[in-house]
Amino acid sequence: MSQLFLKQLIGGMAIASMVFGATSCRVTATTGDFYGNTTPPRQNILRYVNGDEPESLDPPISTGQPEARIYMALYQGLVDYDPKTLNAIPALAERWDINNDSSEFVFHLRRNAVWSNGDPITAHDFVYSIRRGLSPELASKNAYLAYYITYAEAYDRKAVFARDPQTKQFVLEQDVADSAAAAPVALSQKPLDPAATEYKPTTEEPKPDPDTPFHQLMHSPPRLTLPGDETARNKLLAKNAKLQAAVKDKEFVPVSAEDIGVEAVDDYTVRISLSQSAAYFLGLLGHQLFRLAPRKIIEQYGEQWTKPEHIVTCGPFKLKAWLPYSEVVVERDPLYWDAANVHLDEIHFFVSADNPTSLNLYKVGEADAVLNHAVPNAWLRVVRPKKDYMDGAEAAIAFININVTKPPMNDLRVRRAFNMAIDKINYAKSRLITKPLSAFTPEGIFVGYPQPKGEGFDPEQARKLLGEAGFSVTKQADGSFQCKAFPVGEVELIFNTNSSNKSMAEFMQAQWKQNLGITVPLRSMESKTYLSARSKLEYKGFAIGLWSADYMDPFTFLGLFSTPDGSNGSGWYDLKYVDMLNEANRMLDQKQRYDLLAKAEKFMLENQPVIPIETFAVNWLKKPYVKGMYPNAGSLYAWKFVYIERDPAKWDYAVPSLAD
Amino acid sequence: MLRFIIRRLLITIPTIFVVITITWGLIRLAPGNFYSGEKTIPPAIEKNIREKYGLDKPWYQQYGRTIWNIVRHLDFGTSLKYEGQSVNSIIARSLPVSATVGILAYLLALIVGIVAGSIAALKPNSKRDYASMALAMLGISIPNFVLGPILVLIFSLTLYWLPPSRWNGFPSRNVILPVLTLSGLYMAYIARLTRAGMLEVLRSDYIRTARAKGLTEMQVVIRHALRGGLMPVVSYTGPALAFLVTGTVVVERIFVLPGLGSYFIQASLNRDEPLILGIVAFVAITLLLMNLLVDIAYAYLDPRIRY
Repeated sequence: MSQLFLKQLIGGMAIASMVFGATSCRVTATTGDFYGNTTPPRQNILRYVNGDEPESLDPPISTGQPEARIYMALYQGLVDYDPKTLNAIPALAERWDINNDSSEFVFHLRRNAVWSNGDPITAHDFVYSIRRGLSPELASKNAYLAYYITYAEAYDRKAVFARDPQTKQFVLEQDVADSAAAAPVALSQKPLDPAATEYKPTTEEPKPDPDTPFHQLMHSPPRLTLPGDETARNKLLAKNAKLQAAVKDKEFVPVSAEDIGVEAVDDYTVRISLSQSAAYFLGLLGHQLFRLAPRKIIEQYGEQWTKPEHIVTCGPFKLKAWLPYSEVVVERDPLYWDAANVHLDEIHFFVSADNPTSLNLYKVGEADAVLNHAVPNAWLRVVRPKKDYMDGAEAAIAFININVTKPPMNDLRVRRAFNMAIDKINYAKSRLITKPLSAFTPEGIFVGYPQPKGEGFDPEQARKLLGEAGFSVTKQADGSFQCKAFPVGEVELIFNTNSSNKSMAEFMQAQWKQNLGITVPLRSMESKTYLSARSKLEYKGFAIGLWSADYMDPFTFLGLFSTPDGSNGSGWYDLKYVDMLNEANRMLDQKQRYDLLAKAEKFMLENQPVIPIETFAVNWLKKPYVKGMYPNAGSLYAWKFVYIERDPAKWDYAVPSLAD
Repeated sequence: MLRFIIRRLLITIPTIFVVITITWGLIRLAPGNFYSGEKTIPPAIEKNIREKYGLDKPWYQQYGRTIWNIVRHLDFGTSLKYEGQSVNSIIARSLPVSATVGILAYLLALIVGIVAGSIAALKPNSKRDYASMALAMLGISIPNFVLGPILVLIFSLTLYWLPPSRWNGFPSRNVILPVLTLSGLYMAYIARLTRAGMLEVLRSDYIRTARAKGLTEMQVVIRHALRGGLMPVVSYTGPALAFLVTGTVVVERIFVLPGLGSYFIQASLNRDEPLILGIVAFVAITLLLMNLLVDIAYAYLDPRIRY
């Protein structure tokens, strides 16, 4: 019932937006350089259309962008995102030291930071927040982002250590490792050597490496971790005789929150130990998983702590009101350490899940900015020439997953043929703002990354490859192609019901028909049904996929194929690829690391588990008087820098530059 | 009459449970789950989530717990999507919004519809009959997802008189457009039903009797014809009121109203089981009560009907 209803609803919305789109074009054509009203609000208040209703105000819980933007107003982490580049800038941490192989980070916290109730913010608050974010009881969907922290994954997975009941000695990973395949050990896990300096010498105080017993513990060979679930553990042990012998007569101790490699060295120093080198880790720390949550309040009120009457926050703004399905209102927190430099008095985050509705609010001047992707494709010709339209590259891509576990798509030649039969350049042209993509990382986002090129549009070669795979393509008298041997019943293209996915699917279908003579059936599915089919690989052939960056590094894309669980939607998993990624991440030199990541990406593209399609572009509007808000690649805005400019001479009359 | 009402109320209880059980089953049959997203979650985290919400238990335990909480505490639990928000509190705060807009639209539709229908019926096949019925036809044919945007286009984007969307409490200017949009269809329908009912009644014997007794035309229409002529309207508006009050998805979405309808559609899309169950049960109860009210109104309006 709900699906039919949904179809009607979406159909209705489509008609409504068509009627609306067509008529509103006429109105706006005469209103000048900007889209609608440009009178600044009387007060220092920003009204931002933020999209869907936020799930929760508890920072580690939600994964969505609307929530992330609200968290950026309410909470702080050790670092924050730069408003233009999204790189890490100081927040609660004034400065930090990174050890020589990027496997240990020491943060020095500012001493004047307080919670919105006046309590001081200390290193213990960060340690509590990260332990909470990783706890299996909280079950945060973001937890995987912190898995490089020593024992973090083990804790989140409820794993156990093995310990000798008499000697209390733990079984170590090296006790059971194949000596041949041993990976280089990170500095953070090597025994401390007072002679060798782990950090670059610094004149600043405090120094990065005060020693503690916990530090010693981190700097010792990693312990073996095993599944906490007995059945899973026994299954694993049964397969590995060496392992079985090593844990014989040992007791199993659950990995606890206190084992995670995060330590409050003193009240204002946090040390994070990783299980391997990860240079990009710093850029990740602005994510909401690493933003601080108030221990006292959470222990007092439990799940209800985010209620407006209980909530305590630590960001530049604090919660003023939360009207569900309407708006979240935040106001400047006078206790914030940098309150003097926070310009806005309030931000109103409006809920609106309907793009035409969002744009109407913007046009009549009831909103000052709208969320990314609010401008429907059909409106672009009218809205894009306006001076308040925000153009810019986005760290997000569209691609087509191929289910490599089922014939005929388990044949690499067939996969390559389907990729080469698509004219992505023409597709991107039809989409107006996106860029064609042949790789799996977005175009033009990661400066200095030598992005490899996948195979381009080559219908001739595509037909040849199909022929080699046993599906010969013949040319008809009328010039069209036919591929009689291809089992059309074994493939289909599934996608999540919405108009842009539908037009994408139809384009692909037409290309394959035209260039290969194969008509792939299309199947539009309700969102959750589609996600379920894709993640369980319960589809034949092709499934549209989208991916956006969690942090500004190619690894946020490439890492998608590094898990064996089929969670990448294509079923492709190659240990060689995982090794290549790990090797790259251990590189300390940025260029070397990028080169190796690019090599891994090339390898992945050669196996063609996906057909890359396009790099998205940001696509939103802000009034010219809204300053300090930039069309950055992640659509995350550092609200403390945003202000309302009342002098029209200082307004933005073009897309503000992202260059410093 | 009292026995009738009590009997009907008693039947309501098992009906609600059948509705809840079927809904519960349908949610389980639907593929996907509340925590899935474009970014697939690692299996270990999925396992944690399933344990956190008790989804690792056998289905009969989950069902039993759900029903027990409903029976024992009238508690539908906590939303799976909106962390920490109880279903009861979501219904309690979104119902007034839907009800305000719904009742206003209902009253508007009722007044305009009955007046227009009566005027048309009193002089069938006249110009004003054709005019009001043509308008009614238009009202029935234009769905609200078209009417709403057209009204917004005229009154917000062109004339700048009224806000295009968002809820600002009642009374406020924000209420006007949604109420107009929502009432359009019902207004038109009621006008047509009134006209048809009145036409039939005006030809009946008891009206002739009333006229023969020397009553004025006004008395005939208001005291005798309208009562009988409104029977079809009553049977239509009972359930209509239930739907209007419990939220209309499209209008709430176009105008971003924080009403029950918005939550209902989102809950289904999110596979938010407790919220779906809560809203379905609530809508079912409202519908059953409205039908009961319709039956009572019947007895009042038509002296021939007795329970």
